[in-house]
Formats: sequence, structure tokens, C-alpha cells
Amino acid sequence: MNYQSQSVAKLYFIAAIGLFVGQILFGVILGLQYVIGDFLFPEIPFNVARMVHTNLLIVWLLFGFMGAAYFLVPEEAERELHSPLLAKVMFWIFLVAGALTILGYLLVPYAGLAQMTGNDLLPTMGREFLEQPTITKIGIVIVALAFLYNIGMTILKGRKTAISLVLLIGLLGLALLFLFAFYNPDNLVKDKFYWWWVVHLWVEGVWELILGSILAFVLIKTTGVDREVIEKWLYVIIAMTLITGIIGTGHHYYWIGTPEYWQWWGSIFSAMEPIPFFMMTVFAFNMVNRRRRNHPNKAALLWALGTAVMAFLGAGVWGFLHTLAPVNYYTHGSQITAAHGHMAFYGAYVMIVLAMISYAMPLMRGRKVAGSNRSQTVEMWSFWLMTVSMVFITLFLTAAGVLQTYLQRYSDEPLPFMVVQDKIEIFYWLREVAGVVFLIGLILYVISFFVGNSDPEAGGGVEESA
Amino acid sequence: MQPSEINSDTDVPGFSLAVAAEGLYLLNLLLLPGAAFLILLLLYFLKVDKAPPLAAAHLSQTMNASLWAGVLLILVVGLILLLGGFDGPWTWVVLITYFTICHASLVILGILGLAQAMAGRCWRYPLVGKTLPDGCHALR
Repeated sequence: MNYQSQSVAKLYFIAAIGLFVGQILFGVILGLQYVIGDFLFPEIPFNVARMVHTNLLIVWLLFGFMGAAYFLVPEEAERELHSPLLAKVMFWIFLVAGALTILGYLLVPYAGLAQMTGNDLLPTMGREFLEQPTITKIGIVIVALAFLYNIGMTILKGRKTAISLVLLIGLLGLALLFLFAFYNPDNLVKDKFYWWWVVHLWVEGVWELILGSILAFVLIKTTGVDREVIEKWLYVIIAMTLITGIIGTGHHYYWIGTPEYWQWWGSIFSAMEPIPFFMMTVFAFNMVNRRRRNHPNKAALLWALGTAVMAFLGAGVWGFLHTLAPVNYYTHGSQITAAHGHMAFYGAYVMIVLAMISYAMPLMRGRKVAGSNRSQTVEMWSFWLMTVSMVFITLFLTAAGVLQTYLQRYSDEPLPFMVVQDKIEIFYWLREVAGVVFLIGLILYVISFFVGNSDPEAGGGVEESA
Repeated sequence: MQPSEINSDTDVPGFSLAVAAEGLYLLNLLLLPGAAFLILLLLYFLKVDKAPPLAAAHLSQTMNASLWAGVLLILVVGLILLLGGFDGPWTWVVLITYFTICHASLVILGILGLAQAMAGRCWRYPLVGKTLPDGCHALR
């Protein structure tokens, strides 16, 4: 580790992993509630478990992005972080606010939580993924502003690279677009229209910039390929991301009451959204093929390559599967959407955060370049368990979604929703088994941090020329 | 950084043809099914005998993989429809799941092939690729 202040990232990464475990535990509970409807009822109702599962995902990824930025930016800027103290204070504020919010979801009925937190003064609650009490949302904005100030000042005072600037643009976009979470018009069409400016323009817009810059950083470090080559790829990838992703928001506007032309705009531009993911995969493998050194941190490289492939599959292929308006007419909101959501989030964002943690954590724990062989072996086992089980989760949900679409929406005699749910139960059970394997993989991932710590570094702590 | 370092992979004889072959393979799967295959077929018959090892390897790999792709994506899908019937919900469950897995896997293989071609390396498609020509062993 070149700069002492990079170590603040460790706090963020530990919190991210802890919340990730919580997210998956709730995922497994939720999966079981699909087949045993009253499992843990009334303690944890389905809607609460779902809210906790999705909110924890968002919060831990934000912790991961912040940690990644605190590690990456000083190294790119070639100077210490502007204020490590501010980063630590904001960490605790964010963690306490996040924990209180989750406890609020679990311990207080949602309507009561809204009343307790003064939602009537500025109503923002009650919308999917943006369920957080208004006061938590205000807290998120304060934390984000302090974070951007800290990162921005570090970049402004230091070396400016394409990677740090793309990251900064991504993080700025993330903060600015979150402000639409405060816009809550009575008109349901307008509400949904702008709600997607947060949800879609995060994950299919600015988050991809964050993904691209972190991937580029990890690849520079692990392959030794010239920065200029990687930066050229990064420019093209983010350009394609924005060109396709911004108007691609239209694929959410097909059936919410907006004009019909969105069916054309949404279909055409979102059909092109796999292009940046395709390029990212070519880019990652091309850089590895042209590498100038063999980095001993094989696990980090595996996560980086895994990100490229799984993001292409989850966001690109599974996104395309149901993005065209005539197809989406039938598949909208079915289990096909869930299949896409699971693999896309895992491939694009979970894996890139884990790639960064995998690269940075050994350095922050006193290693020169990588962890021991033993810890990397356990980590790579966790990679394969989580990744393969996620592929199966996606496939089972896809099969469930196709059957659901056919029986409920396409056949000559469409069946009611709950009747169809019974008929696709087998796929929910299979998904649950895959989910448990995913949880085992995640437990192994956590264990990898406690294994082989007294062993010597892999490769003797030296990067060899390729 | 020296420009020659960036472009060193492109100096390998047959580089452009190798990249074109992988590009056409992907184009056939993604954007121009049939038309891209015909161009690849033409390139294969015109160039494969006289091409440097890198290009010959990628031409022959992509040709073979494209033929397999045809079998896996057209014939097998046809068979699923024939056996399952057009109106059976399970036909579509099997067909869509199978097609998505198969097509995505073939595209991923093409991406790996393209990345190898762009790095000036020969590469054998797993399962569906032919044995590499002797000249490939000299290329890293």
C-alpha cells in the first residue's frame, strides 16, 4: 500500500462484507417464503424480507464503492486522501443510519416507521428500492456530499487520471441522481418516470462508470499493461454505456402511461445496451492476454475476469432477453426480470467490489502484493461456488419466468397469478437449493480472510515478468 | 510508453485476418446471421491455405465453431420444437433456456477467441474447435 490514508477503505470493505452476508441470509429466507408462504410469519413478513434483501444490497454496494474509491483515488492521485478523519466519521454515520433503518424495517410496521420518521413532512417513502425513511435519505445525501468533497479534493490536488475522473463522474452522477428520490409527485406516471431516473440511471448508467474505472484500475495493477491502452478502452466503453443507457431508460416506460414512442426508443437503445458489456469482456481478456507480469494475486484477477463475463451475461444477455417492447409486453415483471436482476447485480457490481476487495485487502493487511496461496485457494473456491450457484439461480428463475409468462399471459386460457405460482414451485425449490450453495460460497469467502495468515505470500511477494 | 510496444501484437503475420475471422464469427451470432457466415466461408476458402499460421488457425477455428453453432442453434432448436410441439408450455421452457445458454456460451467463446486474436495468439475453441496447426506453437 503506497499511501497510509488508503487504509480507511478497510472499514468500508468490512462493513460491505458484513451487510452482504445479511443480504444473502434474507435472500435465503425470502426464497423459502416463495414456497412456504408463512415461513417466519409474522416476525418477518415477505414484503419486509424483500425490502431488507434489496436495501442491504444497495447499501453494501455503496459501502463497497466508497471503500474502492478511498483505496483507488489516493493511488491514482499520488497523494494522501484529503481527510481520512472525515472518511471515518462518515463511515460510522452511514453504518449507524443504515443499521437503524434495517432495524426499523424489521421491528416497526412500515406505516408506523413512516409516521415515526416524519414522512408526512416530506413524503418519499413507499416506493420499491427507495423505501428508506426520508431522514435516512437526507443522511445518505450528507454522507455522499462529504464523500464527494473528500474524493474530489484529493483528485483536484493530485494527479488526474482517466480512471479517477471516470470514477468521480460516476460517483457524482450517483449522488445527483439520488436526489430524484426526493421527488414524489401525486401523478403516478410522473412518479414512475422519475423513479427510474434513480433506479435505472444508477445501474445502467453511472454505476457502469464506477464499474469500468474499478475494473481498469485492477487490470492495470494485475496485468502491468500500459495505462494508455487501458484508458482508451475505458473511454470507448463509458461512451457506449452512456449512449445506450441514457435513452435505454425508455425500456421502463413501455407500460407506465408514457407516450407510445418510448416503445421504439426504449427497444432500440436498450437493445444496444449489451455492447459496452461485450466490449468490457473483450477488453478484460485482451489485457490479460497482453499482460507484462504475472501478479501473484490470482484471486483478484479471477474476480476481475469473472466480472466481465458475468456482467455481459447478466446485464447484457439476460437484459436483452426481455428488453424489446413486443417481448416485454408478455414478460414484464415476471420471474425473467428476477433472473436478470440477480445475475446482473452479481456480475456487474457484486463481483467488481469483491475484485477490488480481493486486490486491496491483502495490501491493507500488511502484505506486499498478495495473500497466501492457502487463503487465495479458499477465496477462489468461494468464487466458483458463488458464481456457479448464481448461474443456476438465474437459469431456474428463467425457466420459472418462461412458464409463468406462458401460463399466465400467453395461453388461450390464462391462469390466475397464484395458480401459476403453484405450478412453478419446483423451480423455486431448485432456486432455494442454489441459494444455499451461494450462501456456503459466501461463508467460504469470509473464511478466506482468516486462513493462511501466517503463511508466506503467494509468489514470494514478487511480481514476475510475463 | 512506446507506440511500438502497443502495436507489437499487430505485427504478427495474419493478425488482421485472424481478428476478421473472429469478428465475423461473432457477427454471425449477434447481428448478421447467415450473411456474416457467408463472408467467413468465402474468406476461409480463399485464404486458409496460404494464410500465416495465426490467420489459418483462427479461420479454421471460427469456421468449425460456426458450423457447430448452426447445428446447436438451428437443428437442435428445430428438434425441440418438433418433439415438444409448438403449443406446449414446456417446449418453450426448454427451448428458451437451451437457446439462451447455448447462444451465450458460443458468444463468450467468440469473445475469448477475439481477445486471443487481438493479442496475436492462436486459440482452440473448447469442444468444437479443430486441432491447431503446427505453426501455432511458435506463437507464445
